[in-house]
Amino acid sequence: MRNQFRWSAVWLLGILGFISGCSAKNAGKPISQVPDLSGIWLGKPIQSLSPSDPTAQKPGAEGDIPYTPWAIARMKAERPATGRNQTFANTTDPALKYADPDGYPRASIHPMRFKIVQTPDYIYQIWEYNKSWRQIALNRPHSEVPDISWFGESVGKWEGDTLVVDSVGFKDSTWLDPIGHLHTEDLHIIERIRRVDPETLVFNFTFDDPKAYTKPWDGQLAFKLKTDGIMTETIYTISDELNFRQHFLNEKPTIPIRPSH
Amino acid sequence: MKGKVFALGVLLTAIPLFAHHGGTSLYDMSKEVTLEATVTEFIWTNPHVEIGLDTKDDKGKVRHWILEASSPPVMVNRGWNRKSLQPGDVMKVTFNPSQRGGSVGRLIKLIKADGKVL
Repeated sequence: MRNQFRWSAVWLLGILGFISGCSAKNAGKPISQVPDLSGIWLGKPIQSLSPSDPTAQKPGAEGDIPYTPWAIARMKAERPATGRNQTFANTTDPALKYADPDGYPRASIHPMRFKIVQTPDYIYQIWEYNKSWRQIALNRPHSEVPDISWFGESVGKWEGDTLVVDSVGFKDSTWLDPIGHLHTEDLHIIERIRRVDPETLVFNFTFDDPKAYTKPWDGQLAFKLKTDGIMTETIYTISDELNFRQHFLNEKPTIPIRPSH
Repeated sequence: MKGKVFALGVLLTAIPLFAHHGGTSLYDMSKEVTLEATVTEFIWTNPHVEIGLDTKDDKGKVRHWILEASSPPVMVNRGWNRKSLQPGDVMKVTFNPSQRGGSVGRLIKLIKADGKVL
């Protein structure tokens, strides 16, 4: 038992050493000189990033999202599982139909928690949903050729009390939010993240994607601090989904469901 | 079951948290059914927690229901855990029935026989 504890401590020190080792060059400001964003955060459930239509009652006609003809045609063809004309059984939502990762910023829109872990050179956002995470590298340029990924590539810098994050390289099959706002691989997101008071963290987004939107548009997500330390696990699996559909839609599973025992 | 006295409790109206599973495409949100029921199983699972219930009609005929709750993390935020309900627990439940018929529904509120509201 004592040996087990000793090895656990060694592992923990190793991990902490790795994280602090990332700061070896002291490229970023010491944590004590920048705002502390760390903690567990929980947002209110919304369905759309449209500031005028957070419950998704008029998707495609919000007035504050400047769709291109291509994007509005695509949007009308999608069948989200939320909003005014929702359909669950035949949804085209990639996160439900294919169990695809949510991507960003949709990962933050679940009514579930995320944790921010902050070091001088990196900020990590860790979501309890699907146990996914994102890295924001501080005071560094983007890669010469950013990879295309579910959560994109993010770099950030402090401007006063605000963390400004620049993200590119998003896989175009994700939706920005549950109602189905689309994007292309050219999506460029600028975030301004600020702890507006000790209990509240606000992310102000600007979405720039000329193929999908005729001009940049803004969205906002706000989160409240949770101090109970709880981070649970919920992982979306095909087996669980097939079980759900069998119980609530009386659908026959298309593949054998993993036994639970 | 009829005539059984339940302690009064403050009813919690559920916030619409069912962005994915359930909602107007599966359930009739304009209808609310309230029944006295006995828990047969409580499945703490993804994507959403499931509650199996037996109810009895006036003639004593048993009907089995499955109700959809929310996802485990959302339930935790509201004070639930995987042992919040046990088979045999007696309660009053209110739910939206399925649009497609059958004995399934979406949980709205629940009061246990001792008055505890979950």
